[in-house]
Amino acid sequence: MAAAARRVVFTGLGVLTPIGSDPDTYFAALCDRKSGIRRLTFADPSALICQVGGELPEFKPNTVITNKEHRKAFKMMARTVQMGLVAATMAFRDARLEIGQIDPDRAGVEFGAGMIASELDDLGRASRVSMVGTDGAVSLGLWGERGIKDVPPLWMLKYLPNMPSCHVSITLDLRGPSNTITASDAASLLALGEAYRILQRDVADVFVVGGTESKMNPLSQARHNLFQQLSRRTDDPSKAHRPFDRDRDGSVLGEAAGSFVLEELEHAKKRGSRIYAELVGYACGFDRARDGLVMAKIIRTALHRAGAKADEVDHVNAQGLATDRSDPWEAKAIRDVFGPKTPVWAIKGNIGSAGAAAGAVELAASILALSHGKLPPTLNCENRDPECPIQVHIDGVRAVAKPYAVKLNFTDKGQVGVVVVKRWEG
Amino acid sequence: MHSRRVVITGMGAITPLGHSVQELYANQLEGKSGAGPIFRFDGHTFPTNFASQVKDFDLAKHIREPGRFKESGLNTKFALAAAKQALADANLLDNAKVDRTTLGVYLGSGEGSHDFPNLTVSLALACPADGFKVDPTEFYKHSLHSFGAAHEYEMEMHTTSGHVAAEYDLQGPNYTCQTACAASGQAVGEALELIRRGEAEAVLTGGSHSMIHPFGVTGFNLLTTLSMRNDEPTKASRPFDLNRDGFVLGEGAGMVMLEELQHARKRKARIYAELIGYGTTADAYRVTDSHPEGRGAIACIKWALKDAGLQPTDIDYVNAHGTSTQVNDRAETIAIKDVFGEYAYKLPVSSSKSMLGHLICAAGVVELITCVETIRNGVMVPTINYETPDPDCDLDYVPNRAREKKVSRALSNSFGFGGQNVSLIVSRFVD
Repeated sequence: MAAAARRVVFTGLGVLTPIGSDPDTYFAALCDRKSGIRRLTFADPSALICQVGGELPEFKPNTVITNKEHRKAFKMMARTVQMGLVAATMAFRDARLEIGQIDPDRAGVEFGAGMIASELDDLGRASRVSMVGTDGAVSLGLWGERGIKDVPPLWMLKYLPNMPSCHVSITLDLRGPSNTITASDAASLLALGEAYRILQRDVADVFVVGGTESKMNPLSQARHNLFQQLSRRTDDPSKAHRPFDRDRDGSVLGEAAGSFVLEELEHAKKRGSRIYAELVGYACGFDRARDGLVMAKIIRTALHRAGAKADEVDHVNAQGLATDRSDPWEAKAIRDVFGPKTPVWAIKGNIGSAGAAAGAVELAASILALSHGKLPPTLNCENRDPECPIQVHIDGVRAVAKPYAVKLNFTDKGQVGVVVVKRWEG
Repeated sequence: MHSRRVVITGMGAITPLGHSVQELYANQLEGKSGAGPIFRFDGHTFPTNFASQVKDFDLAKHIREPGRFKESGLNTKFALAAAKQALADANLLDNAKVDRTTLGVYLGSGEGSHDFPNLTVSLALACPADGFKVDPTEFYKHSLHSFGAAHEYEMEMHTTSGHVAAEYDLQGPNYTCQTACAASGQAVGEALELIRRGEAEAVLTGGSHSMIHPFGVTGFNLLTTLSMRNDEPTKASRPFDLNRDGFVLGEGAGMVMLEELQHARKRKARIYAELIGYGTTADAYRVTDSHPEGRGAIACIKWALKDAGLQPTDIDYVNAHGTSTQVNDRAETIAIKDVFGEYAYKLPVSSSKSMLGHLICAAGVVELITCVETIRNGVMVPTINYETPDPDCDLDYVPNRAREKKVSRALSNSFGFGGQNVSLIVSRFVD
């Protein structure tokens, strides 16, 4: 790493979560041990393995985006894309930025996103008119001839994973680098890390970064119910997602968007920005053996780059996916680096698993913890699992004791991202 | 100007014009087209019923026990094959002398394809005969029983770079990006930066994609971006020609091994070329169209030149994005003229897409590989099907026939839906 690296700080936050759609409400809910997990309402979930999840209680993009031109574009956006745009707009405003106030060529955007599932109604009619007989074989010949005409013309653009970034760049006039990372649960940390490097190499001064994902869509639910380990605790939604708990039985699906304004320190100071925290370390890699050894190495690299020692870390904000395999894997890496005492916090018990958005909203929670000086508890880790020998923080709100927080996310295949943030002390 | 120089030490390609870099380049020099009737599915009634497909691909010819990937999409299968070629070419396959945690993967690769029969049947049975509102309960009933879990999982975008990293033991940084048609160009550019700043010594990078499936063709047809010249598939992709009517959908994968120069030297690796410039910008204009005056593209090319420390006249050849759509080819021409001024008229610009079609996420890297071969062999690939000049497109597009020229530095452009721009500059390696 270059010695005279440019420093990068967080100057704006925007969050949409099942327990709060602004930073203060979100953080207060975490302190109050609130759960946003309920029986799913967007469609009758009775047929699903996992019938509960973390839905946004209300999502009204019009209340945030008031410009008529920009609103017209909503119909070209899937819910995931709208959520990303709204979170980014809130972060931009929270940083007290205005279009025209910054050099657009030195302002970038980078988001983590996943596959965005089609709404059923966009494809239903086309499928129906292409059906042969009544038992439901759909004829490709009929689809090509007639069905296709019943699909909305801009259908594909509504669902491309790069659309959150693109709509953010258009709406906020950010003409610098633009990228979208599609690395599942690691996506938004990898996006944030890449934006951090771009700011350090002095080709941009400001970045709007984040992650967005909604799985509150029947196609997405059906797919994830088939291939993900999801909790069957249908009768007790708020207890369903149990990070590092002995009796965990899988994740619950959520929806969320989180966004940050990342800014080069001198640029931020010059315009008198409020600073939430400093981004001081980042590393990523691939834990091929999925046994935590390479993951531990990546955490150490991130700490080393941050100039932080393991015992200066206030807490590790873990992935806490609550599946059989993921939690022991993660715990092994955390234990290896931090030993048994560093508090580990996981917030999926409150909001569920929001895939590509997870890293962003979870990191936002740690940044808020550092800036408020208090660490909220982990929900639902009631019986410690001996296979997860780490200090999960469960006992109420505790004062932040040390300057650094470490955020960790990874995919089921082994892609790992680690971010180290430091409390801002002026 | 960059303290760590980055060179290309291996390449691999699975494309509609062959299953190796050699075939890819040789077939382009001959001006061959990869286009023909769609055989991946029965597409005869679709508005566009042809595409540029990878022929006779068999994963078993490339890796052992291909059955392990039977549920994976073509994107993953192409990626595994092209990655192995690039790694073997660079002598980094099973090379235990190299610390595997310093080898990264950065792919611009797309998603797998939906299970069209079971998805549409589930929708059809859940949609009333006279309406369009799908009943989710009915949809769940059918989809949960008919979808295959492994197939659905393998569609997820992180699985491709995950499989590649696991199969070839690459434990360094692992990214997948999705910036539509700019994705693999972007991946190569960001991989370059990973090595420059010391986060990896070498990165396997590129892209892989196939959208030649019913939903892919449906989506592009509805956007009216595909050529509908169904009676003459091989004549359909005609970048910069007045009568161009859209792109030809392609598929495939391309991979390059990027490596830090000293690392490559120490292990006496063969060096094909040096990657010296990368620029990326957003149009910030519209998701449906690129900026009509090429605003983002101009800034992007200028940035790549600045990154490489070059003047415009240092570039000898441009491999254009050149999709064969009215809008792209006009705006790209405007951008090239803006950046290169009078020199633009002396600067050969050709489009590999005239022959390969548009490989979407994989397009950028395959075109970069074409630039590397152009530098090595001194022959520029043509733009085929160039028959009628367009007054708005008045540059030297290397029409119809390959042409000899000593090329030392080449520019490769990739522009994606949503206004994503990437430019890469590759140079002959000079010590």
